[in-house]
Amino acid sequence: MAEVLDYVQFVLAPQVVTGLAFGVAVILVAIGLTIIFGLLDVINMSHGEFYAFGAFAALALGWLGLPFWLLLILVPLAMLPVGYAVERMLIQRVFNRPDRHVTTLLLTFGLGLVLEDAFRLGFGPNPYRPDTPIPGAVELFGIFLPNYRLFLIVVGAVVIAAVALVVYRTRLGAMVRAAAFDRNMAASLGVPVAWVYAGAFAFGISLAGFAGVLLAPIYSVFPTMGRDFILMAFTVVIVGGMGSIAGAVVAGLFLTQVQAIAALYISPVWTDPIVFGIMVVMLMVRPQGLFGRLGHA
Amino acid sequence: MTAPVLEARDLSISFGGLRALDGVSFAAERNRITTIIGPNGAGKSTLFNLISGALRPQSGAVFVEGVECTGAPPDRMLAAGVARSFQITNLLFDLPVAENLRLAAQMLERPRKYWLPISLSRIARARVAELLERFGLAHKAGLAVAQLSHGEQRRLEVAVALAGKPKVLMLDEPTQGMSHGDTEDTAVLIRSLAAEVTVLLIEHDIGLVMNLSDHVIVMHQGRKLAEGTPASVRANTAVQTAYFGHA
Amino acid sequence: MPDALTVAARANHVLVGVLILAGLAFAAIGAAQNDTFYLRLATEALIFGGLALSVDILLGYTGLLSLGQALYFGLGAYLSALVLKAVPSFWLALAAGLGAGVVLGLVGGIIAIRVRGVYFALITFGLAQVVAKVVYNTRSLGASDGLLGVPIINIDLGLASVSSASPAGFFLVVLAVIIALYAVSAYILDTPFGRLLIALRANDRRVPFLGYRTASLRLSSFVFAAVIATVSGTLYPMLRGFVSPELLFFSTSGNAVITVLLGGVGTLMGALYGSVLLTVLRSLIGTWTEHHLMIIGLLFMGAVIFLPNGLMGLVRPAVERLLMRKARP
Repeated sequence: MAEVLDYVQFVLAPQVVTGLAFGVAVILVAIGLTIIFGLLDVINMSHGEFYAFGAFAALALGWLGLPFWLLLILVPLAMLPVGYAVERMLIQRVFNRPDRHVTTLLLTFGLGLVLEDAFRLGFGPNPYRPDTPIPGAVELFGIFLPNYRLFLIVVGAVVIAAVALVVYRTRLGAMVRAAAFDRNMAASLGVPVAWVYAGAFAFGISLAGFAGVLLAPIYSVFPTMGRDFILMAFTVVIVGGMGSIAGAVVAGLFLTQVQAIAALYISPVWTDPIVFGIMVVMLMVRPQGLFGRLGHA
Repeated sequence: MTAPVLEARDLSISFGGLRALDGVSFAAERNRITTIIGPNGAGKSTLFNLISGALRPQSGAVFVEGVECTGAPPDRMLAAGVARSFQITNLLFDLPVAENLRLAAQMLERPRKYWLPISLSRIARARVAELLERFGLAHKAGLAVAQLSHGEQRRLEVAVALAGKPKVLMLDEPTQGMSHGDTEDTAVLIRSLAAEVTVLLIEHDIGLVMNLSDHVIVMHQGRKLAEGTPASVRANTAVQTAYFGHA
Repeated sequence: MPDALTVAARANHVLVGVLILAGLAFAAIGAAQNDTFYLRLATEALIFGGLALSVDILLGYTGLLSLGQALYFGLGAYLSALVLKAVPSFWLALAAGLGAGVVLGLVGGIIAIRVRGVYFALITFGLAQVVAKVVYNTRSLGASDGLLGVPIINIDLGLASVSSASPAGFFLVVLAVIIALYAVSAYILDTPFGRLLIALRANDRRVPFLGYRTASLRLSSFVFAAVIATVSGTLYPMLRGFVSPELLFFSTSGNAVITVLLGGVGTLMGALYGSVLLTVLRSLIGTWTEHHLMIIGLLFMGAVIFLPNGLMGLVRPAVERLLMRKARP
């Protein structure tokens, strides 16, 4: 009995917490991805690079002396106009073509490459590790939990809850869901569809950037960090259901916990195939994911 | 008496809580034009989908020349000799008219010659030339389908369905959206087809239905309401009530 | 009036002829000048052109975007390296690649083919990522260093023998193999089967009503593309003497997609010309800056927006017009 408790206290619990911290960040990124898909029908292959963008921006601004809490607010806000510009200037150009799905995928893929190389240009190929903003750990029921990870979990959960609240309970959210459901109908009802689209894209990448700021002290910052992250984000979106926020939350928690706990028993090399395997099975068995589309939530 | 070319027995399907088809049975006799009519939502296109293999019936059976084909996928229904056209034009819009026809006519080649150059598929190409003439599309053979007028596209729908020399030709509202002149021409065309295929038609244009049909089936809310000659159906009070709300 | 698709095919014949002649001239000049660098670069361009060909078969003809074709290419390269280190036979390596391509294509295809569009792209992406990571971490495959020490081989062509160390000689061998792959692809796409793949891209919902099973068509196309990629991959270790996990990474798959887009989707020739174009661009840009990825990325985005039919979109209509004029004086 004592061994089990010890195990829970010293191995399992910290790993679960680590998984939760990672999970919260993955959910933030996945929500952004799923909103962009649910609304614009666009697969944003550069989404990982916007996650990296947030991390790099935080890094740079941090060097300028800005405190962490300020970065947490400033970086996502600063990314909103960037996302807006990308949507209006790039995505809209190919949006009305018949092969839109492939074209926007390719376009955002190209954008991702450009961004990745831009990071390399600005910061070099080597990883940076910003200092943990809230060092130390707290003891809870005999379990040592790193402060920063707890902070991350709380902040992330608050933001996720806020997003869900806005989307499902406010008038703005209703407009967004209407535009996702039926663009033309929404437009004729007075919903400013062009703004909604650009705004949704901006908001989506801003969430990814926010996650980047949060995770930077834990996982380091390097040019290809977006590429490594994106498979997990896409898996969460697919398993949860393209366009579903609830799906992103449930799938995000589930998959990151699976990965975290699996990492205790098997080499980390094999956690990727497991996650990927879950995605494949889901696509084969229930392609719409657990919860289906945003507009129909 | 030989089996009818196409027979449906007791076909039913529900979508969620909606019973789209409820025990529909009918027979299409050889070389006759059988037309299915009914108000919107009667289940006509659903019936077509069940027979052509687009959907699986939840109960009931489909027979082609006495052989059961219930629930067979579209490619096997086609092999059994049942071809259909679509209410909403469903062609290969970016490809040339001739190519659309050739793809449908390829099944006439014996052996199929899948792996030999197209130029060797003479039977198929001859059929394409024949259909282009007959449907008045020869001068547009090289154009992409998207460049055709709506009426021409609807004609092409029929031609593509006919390309494989089916036994049963199912036409889903072939004159949908056509001008009056085009509709008349199409009626003449369908009448001429009856000699070589059995035609099963869904139509809304009552004038066309009355002139063209040998046999009319009226559907209403997923059930067969009445059937018979055009005249007898027109006089049927239940049919009048269904359409107009009164006899 | 000749079928529009057949005219396009004939234009391709002209372009292939041009490529072959240019290749022969290039080899002759290179041999005369005792050049090694440019010949090897051109050989590599052709090898990756084969990978691009495989992407185009799926994207430009069957209508499926694969973001993980490097999986087949890379595994073909690894297999070839393993075969060559044991038995230095060109034909054996090629044959192994062919067989592996069929097997891998079936496995990958059965997984990927159930879905379309975006999901297909993501599955192919994920599959390549996962396998790449496994290879990267497998010590018996050289882990992150890959497999080194692939021997120089002598390619027995019956009448003569060419060494893989000979820059001009091996260039010609690779040219022949890649042109052969192209020829097989071009032939197949002009058969009823190939036209069905084109039909799938045009409107896959209609195809069952034309009498065919879309699933088996897509799987066949996938296996075919996998074989093309694997066979192209087998040539790589013969050129460079080693293989590394980078060959399986997303960047390799991504480059192939860029190549096809810049060259012209759905033209086959676009894949080959695109590969040449991209290699030239990359060396040119590489002389000024390390960040050719960014510039290529920008070019690529520009092409997606402004030049969706790629290089072939400019060149081929001109060739087609020339042919039509000759047909009707």
